[in-house]
Amino acid sequence: MTADQGPLRPTRDPRVTLDDLVEVLLNKGAVLHLDLIVAVADIPLIGVNIRAALAGMETMLEFGMMRNWDEATRAWAERSARRRGIDLREGESAVCRMSGGHLLTGGVYTGWRPGTVHLTDRRLVVQRDEPREILWQAELGDVRAVRLEPERTVGGEERLRLRVALADGTEELLSAQEPEKLHARLTEACAGRLDAAFPFTPAVEEERLLEGHLWFHEPRRGGPLWRGGQGRLIGSALVWKSPVDSRPALVVRTADITAVEWSAERSPTGDGGVFTLRTADGGEVRLAAGDPETWMRKLDVSRPSLPHPLPLKTG
Amino acid sequence: MPLTVDEKSLKHGVLSLVLTLTEVIQEALERQALRRINGGDLTLEESERLADALLELDEALEQIKEDHGITTSVADLHRGLDEVVDDVVDKLINPQRWAEEAGQ
Repeated sequence: MTADQGPLRPTRDPRVTLDDLVEVLLNKGAVLHLDLIVAVADIPLIGVNIRAALAGMETMLEFGMMRNWDEATRAWAERSARRRGIDLREGESAVCRMSGGHLLTGGVYTGWRPGTVHLTDRRLVVQRDEPREILWQAELGDVRAVRLEPERTVGGEERLRLRVALADGTEELLSAQEPEKLHARLTEACAGRLDAAFPFTPAVEEERLLEGHLWFHEPRRGGPLWRGGQGRLIGSALVWKSPVDSRPALVVRTADITAVEWSAERSPTGDGGVFTLRTADGGEVRLAAGDPETWMRKLDVSRPSLPHPLPLKTG
Repeated sequence: MPLTVDEKSLKHGVLSLVLTLTEVIQEALERQALRRINGGDLTLEESERLADALLELDEALEQIKEDHGITTSVADLHRGLDEVVDDVVDKLINPQRWAEEAGQ
């Protein structure tokens, strides 16, 4: 510090945030009295009389308002509050808990439902505390396999999810705050009962030949529709998935592809044209990409079963 | 002062707006919870339950933001809202600003 500086002065950050404003409003409390008459031709027809008070509960109590209600609410919560965590069965003991969620599928709605993942020595439970509901649960005896699986979220980040395969052949996807820890504990808890290999070989583990944005001309009841999504070409298949779908809308085995044709049609990419995959069963898949040549070349390379490279029709 | 909601992707913009407002409510709840806990009315068990529930809410919000990749846009929008509030409050408590603005 240099000598020519004056004495230190207290400063105050004068900036106000919305959070501060709301806090002051709730701490002080606000009272609104409104009297209103609606009249037509100077004849009063409707009367409105509103008395409203808005304040933080602590302020309300200070002014002697809602005290009985506050006590009644808390007493009721107290009575029904012997319910922290999950309801354990007799002889069951908790192993660990962490925040997480369960992917609800199968119904009209597909989406993550957040809650808390509880692992006991008998069950795996995803439960939401407020309002209380068991979102999903499974007996550990029914768990056949567990696997950590990277998933690309809508925001484009990689997240580890926990896939659980059950004895009845269904699979569920769980999210957890510490997926590795949950995986380890779950494996421990199911010691010896888990199948060594996950029953369904994941397509993700195959080498990716090409991955990128791809348009798919999806056949729909109301006529085909161009949809943008992520295309991925692996050794055995071409997979296309829209970011809003939970599973791939298109899976074409490369062995089934008999021809790849390019035509100069209008497509979402502008003048990039459309390339069409013809499959052995007479099907036709229309796709468009920013660089169709790369996709077509890679698609060609990925079909080792063919005796000779198919002629690429260009233009 | 205009708030910029990313019009290029409306879904992200709307989701960011909703989450920003949720954050404001969450912040208000947290501050009121602190007041109640400090007020000494609540039992220890009640305080703990309250803290747990708020923590769970906080984690759920963080997760939603990260999942949709809107952590930064929510932060930007929040800051934008704060600036608007700061501006308005500044004008309200400093009458000389009115004169300045009228003079312009």
